[in-house]
Amino acid sequence: MMELFAPHLPLLDLIFIGTGYALSQAIVFRAGTFSVASSGFAALGAYCAAILTVKQGLHPAAAVAMGTMLGLLAGLLLAMPLARLRGVYQAIASLAFVEVVVALILYLENLTGGPLGFHNIPRVVTPWMLFFAMVITMALLIILGRGGIGRAFDAMRQDPAVAASLGVNPTRYHILSFALSGAIAGLFGSLDALRNFSLTAEQFGFSILIGTLSAVVLGGRRTVFGPLVGVTILVLLPEIFRPLAQYRQAVYGLLLVLVMAFLPFGVFDSIMMSLRNRRLARQGMLPQKAGS
Amino acid sequence: MSTLTLKGVSKRFGGLQAVSPFDMEIAHGKITGLIGPNGAGKTTVVNLITGVYKLSGGSIRFGDIDLTEASRHEVARAGMARTFQTIRLLPDATVLANVMIGMYRLQKTSLIAQMFGLPSSRAETRRFRDEAYVLLERFGMTRYADYPAGTLSYGDQRRVEMMRALALQPDVLLLDEPVAGINDVESAKLGEIFRALATEGKGMAVFLIEHNMRFVTNLCDYVYVLDSGQLIAQGSAEQVINDPVVIKAYLGDSDDA
Repeated sequence: MMELFAPHLPLLDLIFIGTGYALSQAIVFRAGTFSVASSGFAALGAYCAAILTVKQGLHPAAAVAMGTMLGLLAGLLLAMPLARLRGVYQAIASLAFVEVVVALILYLENLTGGPLGFHNIPRVVTPWMLFFAMVITMALLIILGRGGIGRAFDAMRQDPAVAASLGVNPTRYHILSFALSGAIAGLFGSLDALRNFSLTAEQFGFSILIGTLSAVVLGGRRTVFGPLVGVTILVLLPEIFRPLAQYRQAVYGLLLVLVMAFLPFGVFDSIMMSLRNRRLARQGMLPQKAGS
Repeated sequence: MSTLTLKGVSKRFGGLQAVSPFDMEIAHGKITGLIGPNGAGKTTVVNLITGVYKLSGGSIRFGDIDLTEASRHEVARAGMARTFQTIRLLPDATVLANVMIGMYRLQKTSLIAQMFGLPSSRAETRRFRDEAYVLLERFGMTRYADYPAGTLSYGDQRRVEMMRALALQPDVLLLDEPVAGINDVESAKLGEIFRALATEGKGMAVFLIEHNMRFVTNLCDYVYVLDSGQLIAQGSAEQVINDPVVIKAYLGDSDDA
């Protein structure tokens, strides 16, 4: 089946990896945390996997596992100070974290290649691998969202004071959301590194952070499919409107403003909500359903 | 079942003495009321009990557990549930989800089991859903189960908040103006539910703050009266409403005006 899409394979890669990053962003949003640290975690995972594969000769699979672990660890460590902050302060602190990671990559030239980038990475990750990584991550997030963790996250997002009054320890779930976000970004960062021959620090700077954030806002931040929809729109849009490609940033901006104004919960989440409301309205029309 | 005991509890906000040192007991199997004019410090008392505010002095004990320094979630885990004076639901979540989140305290499966959706965690979620439906039934709200809580009417939202508090299966239930804005017929129904909670089974300790005097006198076994942060009277509802000090606090002196 993939042969059919051969000319567009790079686009699929972008969608799968972009969705991974967007899921890493969405999970902290779901927990009511305003962190934008995902691209920092991704950078750590990517460089970790690349360095281990090229310099230490580690098997790529092991390198990806290490990259994921590093992301998770970074998430845990970052969560400790950030759990004490709220809202916009958390966002600024996590933005600072991303900048520190990028700066470190630039300074540690011996290890990372510095501003010249890190090269000669074996290209071992196939689109199928990315696809499965994305599907498995989404499946795990759906399962997690349906159980007790999802309930605690939902409560914390909608009203932290109520969550606490019901016995939810906010710090514990903040840390959990950061760890999950770190592990997911670390995983997709590692995979990203091993499909691209080379890495540069700019790849993980402010622009990917904004891209990831846009995808989540555009697609929807409460469901697991929202980020996929958002990333797909953002990746395909410039392809569909080739003549507008050089105005990409302007189109991004315009699209975001339109979505926020008319579909404040994102394209996918808004559709799901209106379907639910329609179903409820239909039920309301029926004379007293059984069980009522 | 144990009694919630407050000893010499006080709260000061900067230079303002919001609540002067007072003692209070909230006993199981009883409905204890706290009344007082606006601004008397009633909600502050609930916020002190539930760990929202740190105490300026005194101690709070619940049976053998010292809750003086406990944070909000620790208080909840000790078995205390509250409702809020201004309704605070999870507005986008369904009524069912709002009630199920109340069962957080009863969760026994590990984080790992929940993360990977192991059978134990799925069974727990199913059990919580069934128990939530029992509560919905009790409050006559079954047909709203799938509605976003924020779309319900005021009285129904109050009911959802109470169901959520009860979902904790608390030992102590703290109700901050539970029948504010609800008509007499509906309040009477709620009153019956509160009475049942206090007498049925192990017998919950029910504590309620209320303006509605008739409701309090009909329902409460023991009443505390707070005025300007001072505990000015306590006793049976009958005693308290005939106490001249209380009448003065509510209606003012005849010489005033």
